[in-house]
Amino acid sequence: MQRVWTVVLSVWAMLAIVAVLAWTNRPVPPPQQAAPQTLVVRGPNGKQQLVAVQPGALGATHATTSTSGVVR
Amino acid sequence: MTLRLERTAFRAVGTTCAAAVTAGQGDLRLARRALAAAQAEVAACEAVLSRFDPATDLCRLNGAGGEWTQVDGRLLEALRLAVRARDETRGRFDPTVLPALVAAGYDRSFERLAERPARHAAGWRAGAAIELDEEAGLARLDPGAAVDLGGIGKGYAATRALDAMRDAWPMLGGGLVDLGGDLALWGETPERGPWRVAVADPRRAGARAGVLLLRSGGVATSGRDVRRFGPRGSLHHLIDPATGEPATPGPLAVTVVAPGAAEAEAHATALAISDADDAAAHVAAQARISALYLPHEGEPVPLGRPPLAATRVLVRAA
Repeated sequence: MQRVWTVVLSVWAMLAIVAVLAWTNRPVPPPQQAAPQTLVVRGPNGKQQLVAVQPGALGATHATTSTSGVVR
Repeated sequence: MTLRLERTAFRAVGTTCAAAVTAGQGDLRLARRALAAAQAEVAACEAVLSRFDPATDLCRLNGAGGEWTQVDGRLLEALRLAVRARDETRGRFDPTVLPALVAAGYDRSFERLAERPARHAAGWRAGAAIELDEEAGLARLDPGAAVDLGGIGKGYAATRALDAMRDAWPMLGGGLVDLGGDLALWGETPERGPWRVAVADPRRAGARAGVLLLRSGGVATSGRDVRRFGPRGSLHHLIDPATGEPATPGPLAVTVVAPGAAEAEAHATALAISDADDAAAHVAAQARISALYLPHEGEPVPLGRPPLAATRVLVRAA
């Protein structure tokens, strides 16, 4: 009889460990993608187009446009 | 052949400037010649178009009391572009706002502005006549009128500088001129792709409101995020021609892309004093420009045709 209880407790203990591991290793939801915010202008037909792409997809830039500041 | 970007940075037109060309390993001498030509052309434009140096052709024209005045071809061309932009913007861009701008307190180069309250330009009205005789190299303003090319001059100089680089190096594969954020560009980058131009988001230091991919044309940004003056920075340099005073409505900043940098700068100046609805209507009526309207709060609003598409495909620029 004691052996039976030992087996039952072991099974429950193992199930508890599995449950804890499953809880702590839940799959992380993929990060929500930022809204497209990049413009592409002048399409292959010569007409201007505005197209959104993901931020960061373009890497480094060659210049920045901004309201011109003042050289001090 | 490995390509690289040859650049130069310099100070002109009251701001920081840069020029860059796409060059191969054996092209260093030509690249330097092109960059020097760009810098020289910017200096030449400033020597003609600045309103802060009494020796410039623009100051002579402003002081001519309505008489025909012999001026440099650069000023004639810039004035022609300015008049066209005034028509296209239905007066929202007006190069003759100078008396109102001076009355508002912006009466010297920005580095030397004092703290002073705004005044109204008595008797000033928008839309003063600008007459040009390009064959004879003559220009004339309405008596009492005065021109400020601050809303178009940097763009014009950037395009001229880009053309100067191409003249100095006819086989130039790609180049870019940046005058304080007003840009003219053409051709390919060293990666054989389009030029990538970040649009600064002035609401967050170092942040971008978007990135433009361009193989030709001009880009300019206008806004009230910088160049503030007067008591506690309460005034800005954007005069509304309808009132003759610093404009009330308008975004924090607006970026315009157009076939030329002067055109982009003039339309950016007009949109910078327009509310969102007026700006959308203006861009919809102009087939040649696109814009990114950055309100004081909220997301940037792209304006142009077709509407912002929900695709992530990068379109190769023409």
